[in-house]
Amino acid sequence: MVKMFKYALNLVLRRKLRTVLTSLGIMIAVMLMSFILFGMTDLKSALLSELTTRFKPQELYVSGQDSMSFGGMVNAPTKEGKVKEERILTNELREEIEGIDGVISVEPLLFVNGLELFLEGDDIPYPSKVVAASDLPGTHHMYKEFYGKKEILESNDIFVSKFVVSFFETTDEDILGKKILAKSSSSGMFLSSSSKSMIDKEYEFTVVGVVDTANDAFWINNDTALDILVDLGGYSSPEEYISNIGYFQLYVDTKDGKTKEIERYIDEDLGLFVISSETILGFVDTLTAGLTLSLILFGSISALVASIGIINTMIMSIYEQTKEIGIIKAIGASNLQVLIIFLIQSALIGLFGGILGLSITFLIMKVLDPFVVETLAQQGFLDISQFFHFQLGNALIIALSSILVGILAGIYPSMKAAKLDPVKALRYE
Amino acid sequence: MAYIEVRNLKRVYEMGKGLQVGALQGVNFNIEEGNFISVVGTSGSGKSTLLNILGGLDWGYTGDILIEGKDIKEYDPNYYRRYIVGTVFQQFYLIPSLSVEENILLPIKFQKRKGKEISERLDYLIDMVGLNDRRKHLPKELSGGQAQRVAIARAMIDSPRIILADEPTGNLDSKTGMAILKLLEELNRVEKVTILLVTHDKEIAKFTEEVITLVDGKNV
Repeated sequence: MVKMFKYALNLVLRRKLRTVLTSLGIMIAVMLMSFILFGMTDLKSALLSELTTRFKPQELYVSGQDSMSFGGMVNAPTKEGKVKEERILTNELREEIEGIDGVISVEPLLFVNGLELFLEGDDIPYPSKVVAASDLPGTHHMYKEFYGKKEILESNDIFVSKFVVSFFETTDEDILGKKILAKSSSSGMFLSSSSKSMIDKEYEFTVVGVVDTANDAFWINNDTALDILVDLGGYSSPEEYISNIGYFQLYVDTKDGKTKEIERYIDEDLGLFVISSETILGFVDTLTAGLTLSLILFGSISALVASIGIINTMIMSIYEQTKEIGIIKAIGASNLQVLIIFLIQSALIGLFGGILGLSITFLIMKVLDPFVVETLAQQGFLDISQFFHFQLGNALIIALSSILVGILAGIYPSMKAAKLDPVKALRYE
Repeated sequence: MAYIEVRNLKRVYEMGKGLQVGALQGVNFNIEEGNFISVVGTSGSGKSTLLNILGGLDWGYTGDILIEGKDIKEYDPNYYRRYIVGTVFQQFYLIPSLSVEENILLPIKFQKRKGKEISERLDYLIDMVGLNDRRKHLPKELSGGQAQRVAIARAMIDSPRIILADEPTGNLDSKTGMAILKLLEELNRVEKVTILLVTHDKEIAKFTEEVITLVDGKNV
């Protein structure tokens, strides 16, 4: 077998350019499959891990407007959904939800837009002009990590995210106790739909905690946020603001087993927009499954095209080597030995494509990995230090698969070669 | 009992539409062990067909071919082509990408034999065919005569009992052709191998101990 392998290798090396060109198809298929195995699995688990940390299955997010999509609609739009009227999340609605059987708690979420945020001793404002508000403690799972002096936000306290710490080039420890100055600006007027008027105002906060959040950079407590919104918007009281504008979202914690029922009630009976953790996780699942499927599809098509390429090359080789097949048969090679020699040749083409694809993928991963990690970090996935994981076991599986594709593609041409009549083969010109 | 017995050998080719061509139409002859025989005939007389059959490349014949009383159909075809007969072709049929040594050893690639025995046999044959200084050369770096010597050494590597040579001097000038014939004669003498040489040239046939003449598929 070793002698036959060497002979087949000699035959393949005689046609270097054609071998390389034929193996390109396998190479592309291998690259796509490699990205699935080395990247997509990790992407999915990273996304799911991140989301399951922040969102629990029994939680619901309720809004009066259809504004809770995640980079697009989570579900396909329906005519029914279209006719659903937007509602203001008032205190009455909040109380009604609180009264639903199985609801543990309802936490309102607010956003104050249009504030320029300066760190004490720094002239450059933070790029985002949004301050979120909630009474959830700093140790709540919505914040993945918490570092701070106080877990509960009091008036004029503020939590900042790791993004803010990073932006102001400081550390979690150093930022604690520092002041954050929030200035209303005229440009913010266009961002804030909740203000009747905009007069330059300033609010001062003290940083009491650093949280790891996916989106929002600053968190204050609800009462403070309401006071600011009333102040900026020219309302007479928080009640007036809530009656006219309403809460941005309500975060509803439910008892296990009741979530679906409550979700349906809020959606259908109260006519509000509601998203469950399950929907979000399902969306991620669908998204990653879709991406994986696309890559598998393209990979399979590439493998198929590559197989046809190998078949073509091997048949060409038979024509080129007809006389040689005749010679080796005339000096004692059996049909089986000719078959094996040709199968080894096609397996070698497959293996070559596999190794080429894996090598290029490895290099691309090495180059791309820091950029992907940085991009994910910008989206809040701070725990991912390495996105692509080149695993030798998977690489071996891919290499073996490419050999298998080569062998499968080589079966027909090899059988054709093995069946050649030596007399006719020797006469072939 | 003769060493090789050919009895009523016939080979008919189906040419399609019911047309049949009888390439061999009842050939009979005996060859004694260690003889140097030539088969002479004009083009289309059936020489190549006879050689293909004796060489184990064509099994679609009728009649009997016995070697030491054993029908060649009883042999495994690959075994027969490796150890019973060795064939030398007019066109040499060397593998262009393999060196002289590798071409001579090509039949070994399809066997389990290895080791000292083979290397000694290789050295002996290369020395005998006078190509010691060409061992690592490729076929394109050889003259026609040298290429035919490589082909002869390749045919001999497995020490077959019979050598079939199909117009071995056909592509060579007369001087080189004569040298090849002398080499075959030496092999016949030293290795005691039976040689069957096919040629259309009666002058070459005179070089052999016995001549079988084929005319229209029959020996006369």
